Amino acid sequence: GLGRGLGRGRGLSPRVGTILLSPGPGWSCRAVLDEGHQRTVRRVAWSPCGSYLASASFDATTCIWKKQEDGFECVTTLEGHENEVKSVAWAPSGTLLATCSRDKSVWVWEVDEEEEYECVSVLNSHTQDVKHVVWHPNQELLASASYDDTVKLYHEEEDDWVCCATLEGHESTVWSVAFDRSGERLASCSDDKTVRIWRQYKPGNDEGVVCSGTDPTWKCICNLSGYHTRTIYDVAWCHLTGALATACGDDAIRVFEESASSDPQQPTFSLAAHNSPDWAVTLHCSASVLRTSVEAEPSRKKRPRVSFSRHMSLMARAVFPVSFLE
Amino acid sequence: MAVASPSSDLFDEIVMAEERFHGEGYQEGYAEGSHVGVVEGRRYGSLHGAKIGSEIGCYLGFALTWQCLLQKCTDEKNSKKIRTLDSLIGMIQKFPYEDPTYDKLQEDLEKIRGKFKQVCSMLNIQSDFRIGTERSSLTF
Repeated sequence: GLGRGLGRGRGLSPRVGTILLSPGPGWSCRAVLDEGHQRTVRRVAWSPCGSYLASASFDATTCIWKKQEDGFECVTTLEGHENEVKSVAWAPSGTLLATCSRDKSVWVWEVDEEEEYECVSVLNSHTQDVKHVVWHPNQELLASASYDDTVKLYHEEEDDWVCCATLEGHESTVWSVAFDRSGERLASCSDDKTVRIWRQYKPGNDEGVVCSGTDPTWKCICNLSGYHTRTIYDVAWCHLTGALATACGDDAIRVFEESASSDPQQPTFSLAAHNSPDWAVTLHCSASVLRTSVEAEPSRKKRPRVSFSRHMSLMARAVFPVSFLE
Repeated sequence: MAVASPSSDLFDEIVMAEERFHGEGYQEGYAEGSHVGVVEGRRYGSLHGAKIGSEIGCYLGFALTWQCLLQKCTDEKNSKKIRTLDSLIGMIQKFPYEDPTYDKLQEDLEKIRGKFKQVCSMLNIQSDFRIGTERSSLTF
């Protein structure tokens, strides 16, 4: 997985259980963190402040690494999951961390000023393997994607975390989710080869969407189907331009843009296009398997730059994950 | 045997005999199957219920013991642990044991399991109570 930091370094996690910091053109490897995990490191995530790196591993642990002048030190190992940890994510506040696992649970952890981590909740809402967790950009709201075909949302209610919404609609595993800049909308991508866009409707909304109690309801307002020919493993929503990028098992990255005349309740997205015939909208990965990351930059300067890496496993030809460089 | 009925009824009885026996056999079989099903269901239900009872009982005993042990320590760190323990105990005590048709049964059970895991994490205890690698872990 590719973790974005404050432009300072990128964490990559190949299957051998080590974490390398930033190989690639113009980058030099600054550290090799090979003492933390015994199995595949599935995802890494930088803390919002940039001083900590969290690594989620198939060995059922999550390590927290602190940046020092001469390298990285593992400050703590979060244990508790029964098997493979699939994803880890820091909340924008920097005090909360979420992990999810094949054991079907999502754990929320809190860190204090003394760098002590404590589990604040174990959420058993999903009925299958949880693939990904992502935090809302400005609220303490957590989203998770699962093999049970749903996306679930969680927030804190009276000192405890609860599942406040379940987004049903996908017909197969949901691999990833991404919030838009405002956090009003969520994009989910799935093994069913579609990307769905969901919108939050608060109680008493103008559109007349029914809500139960004080929790907002999330409704699917757009379904992008027919563009992808294989499983879509990752989706990213650019917070600068509003473009959506997808990473697909058919070797391609696709960039979608929202139509200008789009109705906010029923938006339409189309593959980013340009008048020039030689500008390809579907970017095919041409890097060799040895290079773990490639940057693709379309010819028009205004278009968002997209980076992706090859998933280093038996599914080697899939593009996984994808993120916008900001 | 019908005396006043015409000879066609007699033939009906003979001709329809197989179908009649079929039907009677089905009824008997269905009744026996239902009865066996109820017996098996009751046995399964009581086993399953006992399993859940054993699991929740274990969590309750564990939580009450720790609540007792931590009563003496009143510093800030422990107050969170005590609060979480109290929450677990509360959830277990609120659980409706006598109502198997409670619609949120599975959901509440999962919440209890999650809370128990959280407590174990806070107390730094393995949730399967595994002591060393030779001993087997506790399962329900």
